[in-house]
Amino acid sequence: MPYLEIDNLSADYGKVPVLQDINLAVERGEIVSIIGPSGSGKSTLLRVLTGLLKPRAGSVAVAGEKLRYDSPKDLRRAREKFAIVFQQFNLFQNMTALRNVTIAPTIVQKRKAAEVEAEARALLEKVGLSHRIDAYPDEMSGGQQQRVAIARALALKPDILHLDEVTSALDPELVSEVLDTIRLLADDGMTMMIVSHEMGFVREVSSKVVFMADGRVVEVGPPEQIFDNPQTQRCTDFVSRILRH
Amino acid sequence: MNYTLQFGQVTPYLWYLAGGAWIALQLAVVAFIIGWAIGLVCASITEYGPKPARIAVRSYVVFVLNTPLLVQIFFIYFALPDYGILLDSYDAVLIGLALNAGAYMSEIQRAGFRSIRREEIEAAETLGFTRVQSIRYVVVPHILKVLYPPLSNQFIIITMSTSIAAIFGVEELTGRAYNINSITFRSLEVFSISAVYYIVLTIVASTILYTVGRYFFRIKGSVF
Ligand SMILES: Nc1ncnc2c1ncn2[C@@H]1O[C@H](COP(=O)(O)OP(=O)(O)O)[C@@H](O)[C@H]1O
Ligand SMILES: [Mg+2]
Repeated sequence: MPYLEIDNLSADYGKVPVLQDINLAVERGEIVSIIGPSGSGKSTLLRVLTGLLKPRAGSVAVAGEKLRYDSPKDLRRAREKFAIVFQQFNLFQNMTALRNVTIAPTIVQKRKAAEVEAEARALLEKVGLSHRIDAYPDEMSGGQQQRVAIARALALKPDILHLDEVTSALDPELVSEVLDTIRLLADDGMTMMIVSHEMGFVREVSSKVVFMADGRVVEVGPPEQIFDNPQTQRCTDFVSRILRH
Repeated sequence: MNYTLQFGQVTPYLWYLAGGAWIALQLAVVAFIIGWAIGLVCASITEYGPKPARIAVRSYVVFVLNTPLLVQIFFIYFALPDYGILLDSYDAVLIGLALNAGAYMSEIQRAGFRSIRREEIEAAETLGFTRVQSIRYVVVPHILKVLYPPLSNQFIIITMSTSIAAIFGVEELTGRAYNINSITFRSLEVFSISAVYYIVLTIVASTILYTVGRYFFRIKGSVF
């Protein structure tokens, strides 16, 4: 039984169908990357998984237990398992780096402040920011903010970390520091779902690559298959277009 | 021109003037608080309320923003008695100042509501915050920070506007200066001293406001 099982998942914004019959299985410790043209529904899939959007049909199960999206309480439970980091960081602007990381464990999980703070300091050290603990988001570079956002997401000890184009808003010279942080998490065996346009990185870290188009999963396979020997025409076109530049 | 400054004739009235400054400050604080509350209600209705209420609120705001404060208070003081509403001059001025400030602070606070960052609320949601928690920890601190500087300015403007009360015979700072002037006829001395009182009043207020702003909201700025 796979760790995360997405079964015939569909979702829409109003009347517009955005995800159609998504099926996907993720094993514990796996790194699954999602690629595909803009507007193909990659962000929407992560939004459904992290409880920001209610699916229209289908189901998501973690370790055999189906997630329920009906009551806010169920949703909050689901969210403790799934963390997400966004393209635009979305840090709390009125809080320091440390406070950004400690707030959720403190007020959501109601854990002891001292214990939470010690863990947060360790997390910020791990992402290479021990020297910026008291900085506010507007005092940090994009790369630093994104690393704080990753530390914040990890503070709740999620089972799966979702990363939605986390380097797309960064200046080119800041991309590698964030990718290095993700590599560290990969070495720790963190289960991740990564939406990214950094094809070299995707190829290097992924155990599995999902190619999406028009709200559907078109092809799934190991990176070698997707990048070197795609089995579908759409995936072939997309990959050749991307790898040309 | 051979005008000799004679502050000596005015010095006996310094405490009397200080009392006037105190009344001006009270007027400003009360008008600000009432105006802030009016502004909050109006801004909420304008942004989130039903259409008829929105139209009523917009009419009030547009009317106030496009007429002079003095005319508004004349209306309250001289025209309302025709409808059986008789106010003493202090209350008429206070209500006029508050209604005027309310319209300005409605516009200011609307801008605050509009600056709420949807993405931060979403981030709070994915971290498992309840609705109340995201309002308490994310929305309110953000709005306060955005609103603090323009609301501080508004307070200073109201403080200056209290001088209009003199026209209605309220013995605040300008009213008292006017009284002293008609006794001593030392206009230059009397009004320059009252100007100094206003400056002291606003500098003290600004300093307090800036200090609070810097400490609680990380707002950079200085009085000068
Ligand atoms: N908030 C929204 N309201 C309506 N349509 C949306 C919204 N967000 C995304 N969409 C639409 O859903 C589709 C998938 O978008 P998205 O999941 O963001 O794609 P991707 O992340 O792959 O670029 C697009 O056609 C987009 O226009
Ligand atoms: Mg996207």
